Amino acid sequence: MQVYKAFFRIIQKNRGQILIYLVVFMVLALLLSGNYNPPQDTDFTKVKVNIAFINNDEDSQLVDGLKTYLDENANLVDLPDDTQKLQDALFFRQVEYILRVPAGFTQGLLSGQDVQLEKTTVPDSTSNVYMDLLINKYLNTVKTYTTYTPGLTQEDLTRYVANDLAEQSDVTMLSNGSHSIYAEKSSYYFNYLSYSLFAILILGVCSVMLVFNDTDLKRRNLCSPIRSANMNFQMILGNISFAFLTWLVLISASFVMYGSFMFTTTGLLLLLNSFVFTLAALSISYLIGNLVKSRGAMSAIANVFALGTSFLSGVFVPQELLGNNVLTMASFTPTYWYVKANNEITSAVNFNVDNLQSIFTSMVLVLAFGVAVLAVTLVLIKQRRVEG
Amino acid sequence: MFLFNYRYRLKCIFKDRQLMFWTFLFPILLAILFNLAFSNLSSTDNFVKVNVAVVQNQELDQNPAFTQAINGADDLFIVEYTTLVDADTLLKDNQIDGYIVFDPDLSLVVNQSGLKQTIIRGFLDDFEQSSATITTIITQNPTALDSGILAGISSRTEYLKAVSASQSNPDPVVNYFYALIAMTCLYGGFLGVKEVVAIQADLSAVGARINLAPTNKLTVFLSSMLAATTVQLLELLILLSFLVGVLGISFGNQLGYIALTCIVGSLTGVTFGACIGSIIKNNEGLKIGVLIGSTMTMSFLAGMMSADIKYIVMTKAPILSYLNPISLITDSFYTLYYYNTHTQFYTDILLLCGFILLFSAITYFVIRRQKYASL
Repeated sequence: MQVYKAFFRIIQKNRGQILIYLVVFMVLALLLSGNYNPPQDTDFTKVKVNIAFINNDEDSQLVDGLKTYLDENANLVDLPDDTQKLQDALFFRQVEYILRVPAGFTQGLLSGQDVQLEKTTVPDSTSNVYMDLLINKYLNTVKTYTTYTPGLTQEDLTRYVANDLAEQSDVTMLSNGSHSIYAEKSSYYFNYLSYSLFAILILGVCSVMLVFNDTDLKRRNLCSPIRSANMNFQMILGNISFAFLTWLVLISASFVMYGSFMFTTTGLLLLLNSFVFTLAALSISYLIGNLVKSRGAMSAIANVFALGTSFLSGVFVPQELLGNNVLTMASFTPTYWYVKANNEITSAVNFNVDNLQSIFTSMVLVLAFGVAVLAVTLVLIKQRRVEG
Repeated sequence: MFLFNYRYRLKCIFKDRQLMFWTFLFPILLAILFNLAFSNLSSTDNFVKVNVAVVQNQELDQNPAFTQAINGADDLFIVEYTTLVDADTLLKDNQIDGYIVFDPDLSLVVNQSGLKQTIIRGFLDDFEQSSATITTIITQNPTALDSGILAGISSRTEYLKAVSASQSNPDPVVNYFYALIAMTCLYGGFLGVKEVVAIQADLSAVGARINLAPTNKLTVFLSSMLAATTVQLLELLILLSFLVGVLGISFGNQLGYIALTCIVGSLTGVTFGACIGSIIKNNEGLKIGVLIGSTMTMSFLAGMMSADIKYIVMTKAPILSYLNPISLITDSFYTLYYYNTHTQFYTDILLLCGFILLFSAITYFVIRRQKYASL
């Protein structure tokens, strides 16, 4: 088994670059295992928009009442009244709505003048529409009271308004069944896995192929007393064990983080899906390994390929946020089908013929990619041997 | 000698294919990927009318005020009237965001908690709250009914006026591209490393030959660095025109200031590389490793992988963003695009100039007057 041993000795020598991608993945996986827990969809909870509330008016009961009302229906984020700080917060979406009460607003409103609050928003956004609805509701209710029951004190006025606005309509939530809290987290984990897996396999396989495809070395190997079939068999075995080992290392953290969830149907399907993807990635790495000529080109291709397919296929940005033309392009990569299957596995509440069929279609497509690319590579190798 | 060396260094750099890939093609490729992946990101915030079904039954017919109200809210909703069974199917297929049914009280049926569902809920609350207001007022002041409260309550006043924060749209996606340019600037460090290697007698044969020549080493080195900066600026200009012209990324319209940022950014990158190249001796791999590692960490902190990181650093540990050249370059573009004043911009540029001086000084003191007993 000299060839097999040499395979792993070369991998050993190149472990630096490979470890980088492993560390990147582990950091990402660690970040994902943080305290974030997706909300449980059993009861309806209203979505609260982050807003900033700035009062340039006196501290009247009316402004106070409005603030209390908004506090119940939105998240008030405490920000200093500084133009650049407010601009920053809006730009990076820490708040989506900045409301400023101008000086003299309370008096103006109570005496029936035309007064307006100033809002700074993300233009045309849904949160903008919703906050407009809430704030106008409050102020219009105040207007109705001041018009039809003149002489109310501010205290009574705010109390009445608060009473009225506490009325709520019933909401029924049609439950889709319960969902494990790990389902969403694990979908991120397995999607990110494709990035590191691709990079590691390309780097590993390429660094070995570069050595074995070196012309002088190849000639020397051909005149050794090992049959070429034997040698090829050991190479194939090396490639497969390397891929299998990488897969094992990358999935290992999922058992630590998600525990018994990995042994449910969802978890097992995710594992199967990632294994199928490993085979396709190995086959593509093998093709690239037979094409590249230098170490410089190797790291360039590994980077571009891993990053490119991940960006296009919805590893870093979810597929539903990608444009249709991007997704069409992505559907020519196995990563797209792998991510699609992952998302379907983790979003399914129970498995039936419909969603299982879709999931397995994706897996078969990934496998088909692998087989097709392998066929191309074998033809290429054959061609070269004939030419040589 | 100055021009001679300058010309040959240019040739050397342009012929280095690997270098050209990382400093030039790679950022452009990343820009294309960013653009493909993020182009829909900012439009997901955009308001799309909420699809809602109203179940037709007897109770609905008894509440014409509601039908009138929801038909009046056509800027919020796309309403369809169906039977209960149909509404259920529509909801299951996610064709509608929720349906409204009187059974006999007004109630809403949804299948998830989201902003759109909250908007429908807000509208229903509004309707019920108005009834409560009318009841309260009439018990207080029965004459209100005669003075037209029913009409009054349905006529709404607009109490909000939009004030924009800046002349530019608050679009967090542009920050990814600014960070990308900043990263490209610091990738100019590869050029800096190459130039230092080429002039140090213990690092390359060319360096040994140059040190033999009866020319001032500083002159040669300055012309080498100038060549590197020229290439870097050129690459940056092409990237910038690609971003603006092909991908349509907005940079505001203060061309002079943008050009200044590019020049300062390029110099920062090249001197940064030279500094690393001169401090770390004899280990090509380590030099490149440190360069890539530090550039990536700084890019991460400047928000290239996630814009939220930049905000967290800005508010929680502002000192980190002042010590990070990539963050400073990103911030310069950001302030030009978004702020109305230039104070922050000048702070950023001055700090960057400080970094250039620091890197150059270190490089100068390390590489000057070196003598070799043997090579």
